[in-house]
Amino acid sequence: MAGPTYIADPPVDLKAVPLDGLTAIFHRPSGMTHLLAPPSPQILDALGAGPADAEMLLGRIGELFEVKGGVEALEARLSELEAAGLVRRG
Amino acid sequence: MSKAFDSKGPEPTRRVVLALGAAAASTVVTIKPALAQTAGSVLNCEIPVPAPQAAGSYIAQDGSLVPPGTQGAAPPLPRPLTGEEAKQLLNGSTPAGVDAEAAQAYANYIRRLQAGMSGFTCYASLQMPR
Repeated sequence: MAGPTYIADPPVDLKAVPLDGLTAIFHRPSGMTHLLAPPSPQILDALGAGPADAEMLLGRIGELFEVKGGVEALEARLSELEAAGLVRRG
Repeated sequence: MSKAFDSKGPEPTRRVVLALGAAAASTVVTIKPALAQTAGSVLNCEIPVPAPQAAGSYIAQDGSLVPPGTQGAAPPLPRPLTGEEAKQLLNGSTPAGVDAEAAQAYANYIRRLQAGMSGFTCYASLQMPR
């Protein structure tokens, strides 16, 4: 029933710099820099606490924010992070 | 929705709204390394032969700098090479306006460029895959 488990690299592998509304993230293992718009930095942050599937992650984010949107939208954001190499599936 | 009267007052439990967005929205942009981006402008970059700080020096066949007038060495180029011309030289052909016998010396000079030397970034960008 549970969807795929998503994993983010540990926070030590990332250097995040807030730029007004955006967040620039340098991913040390790949040497790549990414510009993230909300909610992606927050999702990455929540995933930094440990691997999780989308349901579980939605719960984590819900503890900090009033979340607008459901699992489907969250999975779309996770796919983008996955395509950028910031998140992988376990 | 019936609390319009306290909409201006502080709400101790108010939390930041985080919209996960539409399924099709994109929130991640990856910035390519600077050298990869310069690959697109290779035609416009320049390599002075030799670098301005060595102006006047001749270029030996192995690409090293030698005193002006050295036997067998090539004179400085009157103008910087464009990226495209440098590419031709490195591929073994001779761009227009370059002495064919000196081409090898110029090509070797370019190959010996190192970080910090005039023209190196241009040379490096020639090495990047398009």
